Amino acid sequence: MILLTRSLLATAFGSYLLAVILYLLQLRLQRPHLSRSALQLVSCGFLAQSICLSVRWWSAGYLPVTNLFATQFFFSWALAATFLYFELRYRIGATGLFVMFLNLLLLGSALPRNPAIPPLIPSLDTPLFTLHIGFSFFGYAFFAMAFSLGVLYLVQQKRNSPLLPGLRELRRLNEEAVFLGFCLFTLCMLWGSLWAYLAWGFYFSWNVKAVWSFIVWLFYAGMCHAKFVRRWQGTGYAWLSIAGFAVVLFTYLGIGLLLVSNHPLD
Amino acid sequence: MTASPRWKRLWALCCSLKLAIVLASLATLLTMGGSLVIHFLPGVFGALDQHPLGEWFLALGRLHPALSSWLLLLVGLMFLLAVNTLCCLLDWLSRLRSRWRKSGEYLLHLGFVLIVGAYLWGALAGVRQPGLALGEGQTVALAKNPGVYLRLDHFDPVFRDGRPIDMRSTVTVLQGDEPQVSKVIHINHPLLWRDLVILPESFGQRPDGFRFLLAGRGEVDLVAGSRLPLGTGGELQVLDFLPDARVDADGRVVPRGGNLGDPAFRLRLLAAGRPIWQGWYALRQGLPPQLAGAGVLLRPLEPHYRTVSILTVNRDPGAHLALAGAAAMLLGVCLALASFYRKRAHGDRPDIK
Repeated sequence: MILLTRSLLATAFGSYLLAVILYLLQLRLQRPHLSRSALQLVSCGFLAQSICLSVRWWSAGYLPVTNLFATQFFFSWALAATFLYFELRYRIGATGLFVMFLNLLLLGSALPRNPAIPPLIPSLDTPLFTLHIGFSFFGYAFFAMAFSLGVLYLVQQKRNSPLLPGLRELRRLNEEAVFLGFCLFTLCMLWGSLWAYLAWGFYFSWNVKAVWSFIVWLFYAGMCHAKFVRRWQGTGYAWLSIAGFAVVLFTYLGIGLLLVSNHPLD
Repeated sequence: MTASPRWKRLWALCCSLKLAIVLASLATLLTMGGSLVIHFLPGVFGALDQHPLGEWFLALGRLHPALSSWLLLLVGLMFLLAVNTLCCLLDWLSRLRSRWRKSGEYLLHLGFVLIVGAYLWGALAGVRQPGLALGEGQTVALAKNPGVYLRLDHFDPVFRDGRPIDMRSTVTVLQGDEPQVSKVIHINHPLLWRDLVILPESFGQRPDGFRFLLAGRGEVDLVAGSRLPLGTGGELQVLDFLPDARVDADGRVVPRGGNLGDPAFRLRLLAAGRPIWQGWYALRQGLPPQLAGAGVLLRPLEPHYRTVSILTVNRDPGAHLALAGAAAMLLGVCLALASFYRKRAHGDRPDIK
C-alpha cells in the first residue's frame, strides 16, 4: 500500500514537473505541440493521483485527509483538477503555471512524509467530514487559481505580452475562479457548521481556525460584490485575489502548523 | 403614494453595494485582529465556546472591556451587514419580475440574514451547560428549562486497544415525570429535541461513597441511598454523600465540589423502625459519638467510585432558523452555479484566443 502510494505519487510528481517544463518551453518557443504534451502530462499526473486517492480511500474506508501529508496530497489533487478545469474549458495553458508550481511544491514536500493512513478517530467518522474537507480544498484550489490569474493580470498590465491572454479575459477568468471558489467554500462552511452542531452543540466556534475560515468566507463574499464596483475591477480585483490567497494560506498552513487549533495538521 | 427623495436616498444607502463592501471589509479586518487577541489571551477568551456570546459578555467580557470591545463592534458590524443584505434582498424582491435569474445569489443573501439573525438570537437567549456528570440512573434538571430533566439510563464507553474511542449513553429527556424522548447518543450522534442538543463530552469516575470496615461485619460499601441492616435490628441509612465538604463551626455542612477532598456522609440511624439519630459524619472529624454509642464502629478504608458519562446540553432557540438559513444558502449556491453555467452555455464566456 505504502509502496503503491509512493510510486503513484512519484509518477504524478514527475508528470507535473515535466508538464511545467514543457509549459515554460512553450512560453519561449510558442510550439502548439508542447502545450498539448504538457496537458497530456498534467492529465497523466492527475490520473495517477486520482488512482492513489481512490485506493487509499477504498482501503481506509474513509476519505483519508487527516494529517499534513494527506492534506498536502489532497490539496495538490484539487489544484490539478482546477488547472484541468480551466485548461480544458478555456485553454489557459501557461496562464495556470502558478497553480502547477504550487502543486509541485505541495506534492514535493509531501513525498518525503510517511504516507501511512492513521486509524480514523470517531469524531471524523461522518459523511459531513468528507463533504467539509472536499469542498474546503476545492475552494482553496480555485482561490489559488484566482491568485495566479491576479498576478498575471498585473504582469500583463505592465508588459502587455502576446504570450498571455488579454486583460479582459484574465479579469473574467479571475472573477470566475473567485465565484466558483466562493461557492465551494460556502458549501464547506455549511457542512462544517452542521457537523460542528452535531459534534459540539454549536454551529460557530470561536476557535482560531473557525474564525479565520469565516474571515476567508467574508473576504471572498466581499470580492464577489467588489467586481460590480468600477473602481475595484481589474487591478483592484487582482490585488484582492493576491491578498485573499494570503489569507487562505494562513488559514490552511499558518494556523494548522503555527497555532493551536481544533484543526491540527499533525 | 410615492416615497420622498429623502426616504429614497436612505433606502438606496441601506441597499448599497458599496456599503456592503465597506462593512464586510471592516468586519474582516476587525476579526483578523480579534482572532489574535482570542488566541493569545486564553485567560479572557478561552471560555468563549462554553457560553452563548451574550452570557459570556455578562460573565467575563465586561470584566475586560478594553479587550472585548472589538467583539461588540463585530456584532454591531455583522448586524448592520445583515440589515444591508436584507434591504438588498427586499429591493430585489420588489423587482423580481425582471431579475429572477439572480435567484441563487439572493437565496444566499436570505441564508446569510437568517444565519446572522439566528446566531444573535442564540447568543442572547441560548444556554450552554457543559460538564454534566451523570451516573447510570441519575437525573438532573436542565438549566433555564423549568420542568425539563435529563436522565442517564445506561452508559457504555467503547474502547479499542485499551484506548477510549467513543461514549454511548442512553439518555431520556423528561418533562416533569413524563419521558419525552430517549436515544443512544454517541460522537456525532446527539439527541435533538426541540431547541435542545444533548451530546457526549467525556467520561470519568466520580467518588460516590466510601468503603468501610464495620466492626463485626467486615467490609461494607456506603453510597447515597445505601441501607445497612445492623445486627441489633436497627438500620443505618445513607441520605447523602458529599465528596468534598466544609463543616462550619455551627455544624452546617457546605458542599465544595465533586472531587474527593473532605468527604462527608449524612446518615440516619434507626432502631426498631424509628429514627434515633440523624446527622453528618465528616470522615476527617471522626465517627460521631451517636454512632459509636450505638455500636456502629466504622473505619474508612478507601473511596468508592462510579463511572459517569459527562454530557453537554445546549439550548439554542435560533438553531432551527440557522438550519433554514443553511438550506437557503445550499439551494442558493446550487442555483447560482446552475445559472452561471447556463449563462456560459449561452455564449456569455471569456474569449480566449
